[in-house]
Formats: sequence, C-alpha cells, structure tokens
Amino acid sequence: MGVRIIILFWLGVVAAGLRLPASSAPAEPIASPDERWERTYQSRTNWWSLQPLKTVPVPLVHNDSWPRTEVDRFILAALEDRQLSAAPAADPTTLVRRLSFTLTGLPPSAESTAPFLAEPSADSYGRLVDALLDSPHFGEHWARHWMDVVHYGDTHGYEWDVPAKNAWRYRDYLVRAFNRDLPLQRLLLEHLAGDLLEPRTDPASGVNEALIGPMFLRLGERRHGDNAASDGVTQEAMANIIDTVGKGFLGMTLACAQCHDHKLDAVGQRDYYALTGVLMSTRWVVRCVDTTDPNEALLAKLGVLKAEVQNQLVRIWRDQQDLIRERILNLPTEPPGSATPAFPESLLGFWQQTQREPILASQFHQERERRQASNRIHLELVADFSREEGGGEWRHDGFGMKHGLTRDGEIVIADEGDVFLPHVLPAGRWSHRWSMRLAGALRSPLLDPQTPPRHFSLGYAAGDHAASALVVDQALNSERMTFLNQRTPGWLRVKAGELDSLEGSLDRERRRVYLEIATKSLNNYFPPRKDYAGVRAKDEATEWSWFGVTRIYQHPTNQPPMDELGRFAPLFDSTAAVVPERDWAGRLARLVNQAVAQWARGEADGECVRLLNDALGAKLLPNYIGADPALAGAVARYREVQRELQADRTVGSVAEWTEGRNERLGRRGSYTDLADEVARGGVRVFAHATPALTSQGSGRLEFAQSVVDPRNPLTARVLVNRVWQHLFGEGLVRTPDDFGQLGQRPSHPELLDHLAAEFMRDGWSLKRLIRRLVISATWQQSDQVSEAGRTTDPENRLWHHRPARRLEAEAIRDAVLVVSGRWDPTLGGPAIRPYRTAEDPAKRLYSGPLDGDGRRSLYLAMTLMEPPRFLSIFNQPIPKLTTGHRDVTSVPDQALALLNDPFVTAMANYWSNAALKDGVGTAEPRVQRMFRRALSRPPTPEETGRLLALVRQMGGLRGAAEHLLLGCQPAWQDLAHTLINLNEFIYVR
Amino acid sequence: MSADSAPASPYDCPGRAAPGLTRRDFLRQSNLGFGWLAFAGLTSQWARAGEIRRPPAHFSPRAKRVIFLFMDGGVSHVDTFDPKPELANRHGQPAKWRVDALSQSTSANRKWLKNLWEFRQRGQSGLWVSDLFPHVARVADELCVIRSVVGESPLHGAQALLLHTGRSIGAAPSFGSWTSYGLGTDNENLPGYVLLNNDWIPNGGLQNFANAWLPATHQATFVRAKGTPVDNISPADPPDIQRAKLDFVRAQNSATALEGGSPEIIESAIRNYETAAQMQTLVPRLCDVADESPATLKLYGVDRRNDYDRFYALQCLRARRLIEAGVRFVEVTCPLTHANNAPWDQHGELKLRHEENARITDQPVAALLLDLKARGLLEDTLVVWAGEMGRTPHSGGNDGRDHHVSGYTIWLAGGGLRGGMTYGATDEMGMSAVENPINIHDLHATLLHQLGLDHERLTFRFGGRDMRLTDVHGRVIREILA
Repeated sequence: MGVRIIILFWLGVVAAGLRLPASSAPAEPIASPDERWERTYQSRTNWWSLQPLKTVPVPLVHNDSWPRTEVDRFILAALEDRQLSAAPAADPTTLVRRLSFTLTGLPPSAESTAPFLAEPSADSYGRLVDALLDSPHFGEHWARHWMDVVHYGDTHGYEWDVPAKNAWRYRDYLVRAFNRDLPLQRLLLEHLAGDLLEPRTDPASGVNEALIGPMFLRLGERRHGDNAASDGVTQEAMANIIDTVGKGFLGMTLACAQCHDHKLDAVGQRDYYALTGVLMSTRWVVRCVDTTDPNEALLAKLGVLKAEVQNQLVRIWRDQQDLIRERILNLPTEPPGSATPAFPESLLGFWQQTQREPILASQFHQERERRQASNRIHLELVADFSREEGGGEWRHDGFGMKHGLTRDGEIVIADEGDVFLPHVLPAGRWSHRWSMRLAGALRSPLLDPQTPPRHFSLGYAAGDHAASALVVDQALNSERMTFLNQRTPGWLRVKAGELDSLEGSLDRERRRVYLEIATKSLNNYFPPRKDYAGVRAKDEATEWSWFGVTRIYQHPTNQPPMDELGRFAPLFDSTAAVVPERDWAGRLARLVNQAVAQWARGEADGECVRLLNDALGAKLLPNYIGADPALAGAVARYREVQRELQADRTVGSVAEWTEGRNERLGRRGSYTDLADEVARGGVRVFAHATPALTSQGSGRLEFAQSVVDPRNPLTARVLVNRVWQHLFGEGLVRTPDDFGQLGQRPSHPELLDHLAAEFMRDGWSLKRLIRRLVISATWQQSDQVSEAGRTTDPENRLWHHRPARRLEAEAIRDAVLVVSGRWDPTLGGPAIRPYRTAEDPAKRLYSGPLDGDGRRSLYLAMTLMEPPRFLSIFNQPIPKLTTGHRDVTSVPDQALALLNDPFVTAMANYWSNAALKDGVGTAEPRVQRMFRRALSRPPTPEETGRLLALVRQMGGLRGAAEHLLLGCQPAWQDLAHTLINLNEFIYVR
Repeated sequence: MSADSAPASPYDCPGRAAPGLTRRDFLRQSNLGFGWLAFAGLTSQWARAGEIRRPPAHFSPRAKRVIFLFMDGGVSHVDTFDPKPELANRHGQPAKWRVDALSQSTSANRKWLKNLWEFRQRGQSGLWVSDLFPHVARVADELCVIRSVVGESPLHGAQALLLHTGRSIGAAPSFGSWTSYGLGTDNENLPGYVLLNNDWIPNGGLQNFANAWLPATHQATFVRAKGTPVDNISPADPPDIQRAKLDFVRAQNSATALEGGSPEIIESAIRNYETAAQMQTLVPRLCDVADESPATLKLYGVDRRNDYDRFYALQCLRARRLIEAGVRFVEVTCPLTHANNAPWDQHGELKLRHEENARITDQPVAALLLDLKARGLLEDTLVVWAGEMGRTPHSGGNDGRDHHVSGYTIWLAGGGLRGGMTYGATDEMGMSAVENPINIHDLHATLLHQLGLDHERLTFRFGGRDMRLTDVHGRVIREILA
C-alpha cells in the first residue's frame, strides 16, 4: 500500500509537469534507479575476473636451472622480484607420500613406488605420476573434492532426512568421470543440462552418464511439501542451487542478488530472477538412466513363455460352463451390508440382484442406453494409451512403460505368489506387463488452472506403492502424493481446477502443476518421510511396484465415464435361449464361457477383459498355480526368466518440457511481494557467451553453454584455481568461491590466466593439468622455510616452499583402514550407513558397521541431519552449502578421537593381529615394518630404538614376559595405536 | 596482510577473518566443539592481547548468560499460560477462522477444544498458570510471559530453525553460537555454547546448534545425559598405558618438529594431546553432580526413579553448574518418550503426553529458577522457556491439538526482565496474536539487548554480506525490560 501511494505521488508530480527539487547537481536530470544501476553495473564490469584471459609471455628468470616447467618460471620470477629463492626439493621418500595422498587420497603402496625410490629421476617420477593418475582410486579422491563443491548428500535433511533419490549413482558417476578424465567442460555441462545433451554411455554399465549429471541440481537441504502448503519451499531450493552454481562454477556470489542488486559485483537482481525462471521451468524427476535396453533378449523369451502359460490357461478354462455354473451357485446371494444396490456392474452384482428379482431386458437396455448417451455427450477423449503415440503430451519413462503397450486380453504373470494371474490386461500401457521389477512413470503436461475447473478421468490400475502425485511449483517431494491400490482397472479422478483453491499466498494463476504416476523407483519421494501413509520397512526393501493406464477422458464435473455394460448384453439376447430364462447361474456361466472363447481366439475386447477380470475376482476361473501341474510348470519357466530381468537404473535428475515460463522478481527477496516478470536467461555479464533462448524452452541448456563457453572469463579460472588449491593447500586466489570484490585478488594473475588458457587448449583435461603441476619444481619443493621467506612473505603467497598439510578427514580414516589392512578397495555402490552412538529410526538415522565394512570414506552415507561424526571432527563440511575451502583445525577433540574412538582402537587391534603373523624372530623388523607401513618411510636408528622401548614397555604393562613379547597382541595393538596417533600420520610434508 | 589482499572493506566488522589462514585462526577454528580447550593449553605462552577477550559490549549488559529450555514440538498455550474461557463456552462447536499460510489445516471438521487443565492465578502477581505446571506455578512471580509470538510457517523444522537461527531454513548460526561469538569467553577452559541433550535430534537437525559460518569455536558442544557425556571422552586405555603412549607421541612429535618447516603445527598437536588428556578428567568432573547437596538433588528431582525424569533433572542441574563455571549459553532439550515427531507434538494423546512431558520438566525447571535465585545468579542469567510453536485451540478430535504459529506463548525469566507479567495477547479463542504481536527476531533482538549487544551491530561477514542473527528484522521489546 505504502509503495503504491508513493508511486502515485511521483506519477502525479510528473503529470503536473513539476520540476523535482534537485539537491546537489541541478543541471543533471535525476537518474532513475534503473539508470543508476546501469551506470553502476557498467563500472563493475571492469573487475579483473570479468576480463578475458590475458596472454602473457612466460617470464624470464635468472636462475635458469631451477624451473622444470613454465609454471616454475612464473613462480620463480615473482620470487626473484622479492629476492627470495625456492626451498630445496623434497626428498624422494617425502615426495612419494605427498604424491600418493594428493592424487589418490591413500598412502603409497610399496610396490608401486619402488622403481622411483630405487632410481629417482624425472622419468621414473613421471611414470609414478602416470601410474597414480591411472589408479581407479584417483577418481574417488577427486570426486570427493568435487562433492564439497556440490555439497553432496545422500539425504535431504530438514525434518525427516528423506533419501536423495539414489544419489550414490551420481557419486559413482563422478568417480567414473574423473577416472576417465572427462573434460571438465563436459562435466559442468552435464551437471546443468545433461538431460538435453546427446547421451554419453558408460561402456561397462550401459548407463547414460549425461542424464545422471543433473542430480547435482537436486542435492542439499530440501523441504517436503510445496509452496501451496507453505510459502517459500521452492524459493529456498532455488536460492541454494543458484548459490552453488554461482560460487562453485563461477566464483560469483549470485545468490546475494536474491533481495537486491549485488552490493559490490556486476550482478543485478534481475539476473537472479532470470536464472530462477530457468530453474523453475525445469522438472525435478527421477529418470531411468539406462541408455540401451538390457532386457531385450529376455523379453523376447518372456513373450514365448507367456504364450505357453496362456495356452495352458486356454486349455484349462475353455468349455467349463457347467463348472462355472456350479461355482456361481456357490456365490453368496446377499451383498454384505444393506445399502440399496445400484444397477449391477459385475457378475456377482448380477447374480445377487437376480436372486432378489429378475432383471428385465427392457430395464437393462434402458439403463445401457442412458449410460451410452451420457458418455457420448460428456466424454472427450484426451489420451489413448493403447496406441503407441496415443498419450499425446503425456510422457512415460522406465522400461516397464516402454515395453508396456498391451492389446486387450494379454495376461500378466505376477513375480511371485500362488495366484500368478492377478488380472487380464485391457489395452493400454502397463508397467508390469512383463514383471513388477521394471519401472514406470507417467507424467502429464502442466495442468493449467482454469475456471470452471477441468475434470479428468484416467483409466488405470495400480498397486504395491505405485503413487500418484500432484506436483505443485516443482516441489521436489510432493506431499500431494497418494499410494494407489486399485487392483482391477478403475478411474482416477483429477480436478485440474483445484489448483485455484490451493492454499498459499503465491501467485496462484502462475502456479505450475502436473500429475505424476510412478512406480517406487521412479518416484522422487519414495521412500517418503518415515511412516508417511503407512509405508513400512518391508515396502522400502523391494522396488517391485506397478501401474498401468488405458485412456483419459475430460468431462464435466459430475459426469465421469460410465460403465456401458455391453458385456452383459448377451444375457438379454432373446435369440440365444439355450439356457432356461430363470437359470441366472447358467446364463452368467454361459456369458463367461463365451468370453473365454472370445479371448482364446485372440479376439478379446475391453468388455471381454472386464468380464474375465470379474470372473477372476469371483474365483470362477482358476488363476493359481496349484490348479494344474502343466500350468505350474509354464509359470515356473516364465518366472525363472523374470528373475533375470535387470531393474531400471534410476536416479534423481531433471526433465525439460518446453513449458518455460518467466518468474516474477521478488521485491526485497520476498516471495509474496512480486514485481514484474523477468525474462528467463543467464547471467548478464556472460551475455556475449549465451546463445539465444528458444521461446518455449527453460533456457537451461543455453545457460549451461554460457557457463562453459571458452569466452566465459570465470569458469576455467575457477576450476584451475580449485585444482591448484588441492595440490598446494591454498589457491592462487585464496577465496576459491568468490572471485568478486569481496574475494581476494590472485597472487599470480598471469599464471592463473596462463594455466586457464592452457587447460582449455588441452581439452579441459583435469589429469593433464594435475600432471603439469605435480611435475613442477614448485610443487616438489620441501616444506623448509627460509628465514628470508618467513620475514618477507610469511603467508607464502609467492610459494617459496610447499607447506606440510593435514590430511582431509576422509584420507585420515582411509589411511587408518589401509594401514591396518582392513581396507576393501571395491569401487562404488550404495552408501554404507555410518556408525552412530545412538540411532533415530524416525529419521532413518540407523547405525552402520564400526569400520564401514572397510570401505573408503566417500562411500559412507552423508546423511544431512547427522553426517558421519568421525569425519566431522576432522572438518568434513556439513553438506548443505557449497564449500570450496575446508576449515583445517587442530583441536583437542581430534586428539580425543584418535586416542579413544572405538573405530581407531578396533583398527589398531585388526592391524596388530595381522602383524603377529609375520613370522619374524625378533621385535626389531616388526617395529620397522609397522612404522614404515604407517608413515611410508623407514625409521631412523634412534626411532627404531624408541619404538622397541615402547613396545617393550607396553609388553611390561600388559604383563607379558620379555621373551613372549612377539606374541603379546595387546602390546602390538598399543604400538599400532600409537603410530596412528603420531602427528606424522595425519600430516603430509 | 599482503598488498594483494582485498580492498578496504566498506563493511569492517569485528568478526571479519583476516585473508588466508593465520596461526590464530588455525588454532581457533574447530569443527565439533572443544576449540575452547585448545586455548586452555595455549594461553600461557601464546595468548596475545585480544585473542581471549570479551569484546566490548554495545550497551551495559543486564545479563551475562542464557539458559534456553527448548520445549521441542510445541506446548499448548491455551492449556498452560494463555487461559481462554471462551473455548470452554464454545467447546465442541465448529471452529472457523481465516485460513492462511500460518494454518496447518483448513477449518473442515474442526471444533473448539476447551482447556484440559484448570487455570489459577498464582503468586503475588496473580499470573495465570494452569495445573499442568504446579512447580513452575510456584515461581510465577519470576516469569515474564509473552502470549503473542507469531511464527512463519506451521512446520516443526522451519520453526525450530527459526527459533534457533533466525532463519526458517537454517544454514545460519545458532543463537547460542551468536551469544558465544558476541560475548567472547569469560572462562577459557570452557566452551561458549553447550547443548544438554540425550541424543535426540530435534527437527531441523544439528543445524539448530551449528556455528554455520561463525568460527567453529562457537558451535554447541553436546553433553548427553546418559552414559558418557561427551564422545570419545572416556579413555580407551588404562592411565599408565595411555600415559606411555602420550609420552611416546610427544617425544616423536617433538623430534619431527625440529626438521619440518611448520613447527607450529607440531606444537599445537603436542598441546592438543596434553589438553585432551586433561579433558578426560575435567569434563566428567563438571558433569558429575555428586558434590551437590542432597537438598539440591532433591529440589531438581535428580533422585527421581524414572530415567526421563532423572536425566532431565540432571541436565537442568548441569545447566546451572555450567553457567556458574562460565559457559555463556546452555540449551536443554526435552527427551522423546514415545514414537513421535517431537516430544510436545501432541496431535493425539494430548492429555497423556502433555502430562508426561510436564512430569519430566516441570519440577527441574522450577528448581532451576529457585536455585539460580538463591545463588544470586538469576539477576544476570536469562532463562528462556520456549517451544517452536503453540497448539491449535481447535481440534479434529478431542484429545489432540495441531501446529499453531499465529499466536503462541513463551516465557522468559531473570536477566533484567520484569517478572510476574504478561505481554501481548491473542484473541478470545487463542488463535491470533492481536495485541503486541512479536516475532522471533524481536525475541532475539531483546535477548541480545539484555546481553549488552545491539542486534544491528552484532555482525559477521559471510558470502559478501554482514550477517546478523536478526537478518534485516528485529525490535527490542522495551516494555518487558525491568
């Protein structure tokens, strides 16, 4: 209100032609806020990091013998300017430990480093570097670095810590990408828009890697529910994504512009809302990521085997009219309850109704015509899923749906259970046509809110926690989700106009809503928060789930599709009076028998299918294995092949629906006080690198292209700087996430540009970049600090030595596993639950094995609500915000963890038990071997002496006689434990 | 600092970290508490002026510390401190109200539900307290009851994070962390912020107690009621064995320190091990209440037989011991006794579970106020009793109330606030705050004010902004100041 009045006032002033009172510069016309921002913006585009990369010749240096690479010349030139010299080279033993931890996050293995240590040279060093770059554990370590940037988590935190859908597949995708040295340009492109790129197939697994990348957009703290339930749910998610992309990929604090134009950098508030429009025009959905169909041969086999089952059924069911009549006579004649029955729509209904009073042909025909007329007038067919393309704008996903197109009358064989035939399928698309192991999803186009509301009826059946959900405003975990339990085909009612009346104070006309039906593995929100809608542990344990759809009709409010009863017409066919008129059981049995015959001829239609399902429901036709041995055999053969089917590999990803819409700018970041809409697009300072938007698309691909375009001045610089930081401890820009005004300036701007340019020329190869840096003399310096260095450059910005570094949390835990011999080097797979001192089942915070099954730390589940505690102690960041630079602290709780944590003592125990089996005759070789195993170097004679003294002292304290020391396990566990507690164990020089 | 560092900031602020990682930061930052004890071992030699200090207060403080009794899940205001006779008059009649973003449900099938416990006026002040809290009723004259708190959304996670961090999505420092940051330390041997709980993690997760982007020293240190109070605090070895290991580690670390280029790393490691060794006795001693008088133990109810009762009493007593010893901010959480989303979250079983929660908390909370008062600590200790929400005056049944954030009650005590008073009011049905509504930012601003801190000036630079606990909001509620 207040704002409006002020605006009117100003308009009034202008309209009256009055001059506004000028304060200081009367000659200048008053600039509008837009003009002022434009001037500010233009002046800010001069900032160093927004300038194109500069090509600078490699500098000349005095000490020409020191440099080994061009990098060294840049470093040395700056050192020489300040009369500083580089530290001496690190000795080979130190270098080997440093290199192994830096490249793979693991201690060096004796075998792989022996050639270099035996004969240190540039060549043998280069071979060692190559071997480590080729190690599969390289990818694990560098994926973990990237996981800080994307704030990787296996859950979504907030109230219930619900799982992030198969996030581990994204983690494994990263490991593969880094191991294959995927160009980082492509990696970033896949992160932002992998769903819009041509597939990139992993030859080993057959998954489309590109489609896994966008899981990146979904990681982090996410609320359940949607904007209509609680304002701001999606806005929070948008802010988190924009913050992560901005800082992580571009070194820009884009999210600062949510509430106002950036205070210092060339980012306008409109940039923020342009990006929001892009992201809000993107659907967060689970995708099946298999590129090729792994089951085609099996499906062909299943086709043959299903025909066999069908043949058996035909044999058993055909010409059983008398038997069926007997069964009908045994049916209850009274419906349960005493409600006035409507006109019967089932065999049982007809049976019961006619036991009270006969149904006359005239009654039947009148009822039938009434229904036909209603359908004719009211129903409008919107989609027909029995035709390949009949779904119109509705899209399906998953192999179940892909192979789910059925004709009327196809049988479906349950994956288990005595009742193998739950129902006969009507024409449509059915996810469980071959097996419940295969997944399916069906998603509608946006359902526009309209007045009056539009009503739809969708023919379907579903069970085993297939769910339908109305997804409002791209809610990640929609709580407008219902688990479907409709075993025989029925109608699902959808009222699109309900969207108008959804709660929440947001712009309701612009609300985006779509319907999704999905089996468990293609449902974002399965498993949902604990105890939602009664989902139990056993329901979560399997991915089996199914649904199918037939047709969608649109119709007025109270005129849904009516059953036209055509299948019952032969009952009233006066010319077919073979059965006495009063023998309703006989008449109904004849009806069933005719349906079986029609089906057996392969001429089933929808009415025939309904009759058969009715008959199955009333147990008039046997559909259980025990009915017949030959049938049982055919079913068993079918199920044998069913078991071999490979389930869809699914992961949280995104989808583009050409339903791009612009977002409105939120005044002061408010999501209720909205200004005009902002055209979707990228960040303005990269406009020169941003392709034009197509009118209907989200603009996500175009934004992604602007991020990785070589003309974008930031991306390559930011990436190169991150790599430098991981190798040296600090970046050339020491604020890796902020290259803006509040960040630090690069210590070596020319070197940064040189590396960035070379990196891009080199195909954005991470491995070659790392190789260039680790073979440099700069990196191979020792950690010795000269007096001059200490006084002239105490922060080592000029790199006059390569400082010792504490290992990352993961590397500490991994090193304990490796040294103790407990390490299981398996790559990938679902996350391992971390060990916890207390469980919280309501949040699924269960405890896992103390040693994490010996797996590397990146495989421990990063549960947002309580990340693995041992790793937190050593500064693993809580994965809610992007972290480019971890804290490195040195505090007593770390000492307490290494002294007292049960994981560490258990590993010391494990190690000592193995050490006892070394067959040595004296303690000396054993202490030497253990020391070397822990610290990657042999002990000095003095150290050997101290170690022997320690183990003897421990033997004494543990009560072992001197001559029994070698077999005194506790004393050796004490030694192992002590070695892990050495500073040298967690610091790498 | 180097000449290459950022240009002079227009936002210079006390928390601004120097570019790069200085030795001081290095030692100061810790990720999981106990950064404080790093100082304990270091002060004698390394402390320089300003390293361990109380930052200058913005105003003269009325309080030095905070005890926050978090009533997790939301206590029913209309059953405890906000009597609504009209509810009894209209009991069972259909409830209607203007449904908005703060409502958890629509008004379909909702009926007014009368208070399940009788209200009485208590003490000199005549403050209304229901029979649900007989012990707290006896200290009514100390309470400053605010009946008009308005939240942001009817969800536990959002509200718990809002109450703790001033942001309904969290990712910001806890109020306890801000307090520790703003006040600095009075006792270098102790953390600034301690959380007394029993492994139950409230909605919103550990983020409720996190330092976020404040230095890690200000993160909550968890002390659990049952068993070992702090992770890894129990020695894995007998004393002589551990001593031998520590001696070896010290000797070996010292020897390597001589060769390396970064002796300070080794020095800090050596001291960490010594401090860690001391902590193994220090922390358990602080948590052990055996030296308290039998009368005190009885007052709090530490002698009670039920584990929930006894542990909550123990934590309240520890709260007093900790603030007495110099901890700035102590938070006590409620235990979860049954399968539920939060202890006080009674959508059903209202009578049974509210009474159970009251049985657990009422006596120790009252005892804490009495004990603080008797020791002269209440006058400069702020006690905050608050859940993240209230409960609806209406119900879909007759023994449950749902999430309610459009007007609910909390109370404060001590710390230069007026006792025996109420502030603000809800409408006649207890639905919406209609008189002096306050939000959580106002609460935070007021509490900081009593601690001598201006909520607009207590800032920390992060992500290009000078961040505040109160974001861009907050008003000091002057009417409740003594």
